[in-house]
Amino acid sequence: MEDLKPMSNQQKLVEKQFGVAATDYLHSPAHAQGADLQRLRREFAEQPAMRVLDLGCGAGHASFTLSEVVGEVLAVDLSGEMLRVVADEAQQRGLSNLHTEKSMAESLPFADAYFDGVVTRFSAHHWADVPAALREMRRVLHPQGKCVIIDVCAPENPLLDTFLQAVEILRDPSHVRDYRVSEWQAMLAAAGWQVSDQDTWKLPLDFASWISRMRSPEERVTAIKSVWAGAPTEVCDHFALQPNHDFSLDVCWMTALPL
Amino acid sequence: MSIDRRLLDLLACPQCKGSLQPCAQRQALCCPRCHLQYPIRDDIPVLLLDEAKPYEDKPA
Repeated sequence: MEDLKPMSNQQKLVEKQFGVAATDYLHSPAHAQGADLQRLRREFAEQPAMRVLDLGCGAGHASFTLSEVVGEVLAVDLSGEMLRVVADEAQQRGLSNLHTEKSMAESLPFADAYFDGVVTRFSAHHWADVPAALREMRRVLHPQGKCVIIDVCAPENPLLDTFLQAVEILRDPSHVRDYRVSEWQAMLAAAGWQVSDQDTWKLPLDFASWISRMRSPEERVTAIKSVWAGAPTEVCDHFALQPNHDFSLDVCWMTALPL
Repeated sequence: MSIDRRLLDLLACPQCKGSLQPCAQRQALCCPRCHLQYPIRDDIPVLLLDEAKPYEDKPA
């Protein structure tokens, strides 16, 4: 039997933070669109018997995409509000093979080797214990299965990394860490995974909607602007910072297979 | 309780990973091994130890 811990305060913060903004994420272009969703569809295409777990499903964009091509999708999140949005939208779209369930990535309520695929998109930066989650993902995945991790990632350069985490935690008190690709590689290897494919790209963000989705209070918005205003040019260049505070994030895709 | 039978088949207790049983009277899923009941809210199972409650008697 595993030693199971109750939710930490950080996990309660995640639940609170995303409860108020659930429908905003359903309609956010940064989340609802993206070549990565089409790539996910291709990655799992023509697998009508496949069972896929979407961890930290948020407003369900990966789940909706996958449920059109695989047999069954289980959408899991810590936010009950998000899950209600996903269940309602799935019903509207007639996606009867999409189920919702509230649990945490670090202690998954599924039998060993149940899933043929595990995906997580724009969620892992909120997880309190990524190594524990990677072990659980490994446990519930079939030995021949495949895992896809998509998330905002930090540059390998420490200065750029520090600025990124600073604006992230100011915007969202439930932020934990945008990991570097090298950190993902190390954590995956330690949890029994081998990376079979990886990629990074830039995601341009509209500052105003990025802030409003999270309901960031005014003093925190002011602080973010102040952080950006004091940023050295190499930071501004890397994040393509604009005068209206729009900027670009780095996003990574990692396909991992059980070792 | 309108939980899908297929969904029930795939869910396990987050603590012992054993199978769960529906408890219609409690609007919950119960783990007979851990004697814990997990609530179902708006048809969504809440499989968090934080929100589980112990029960003494047999699951309904």
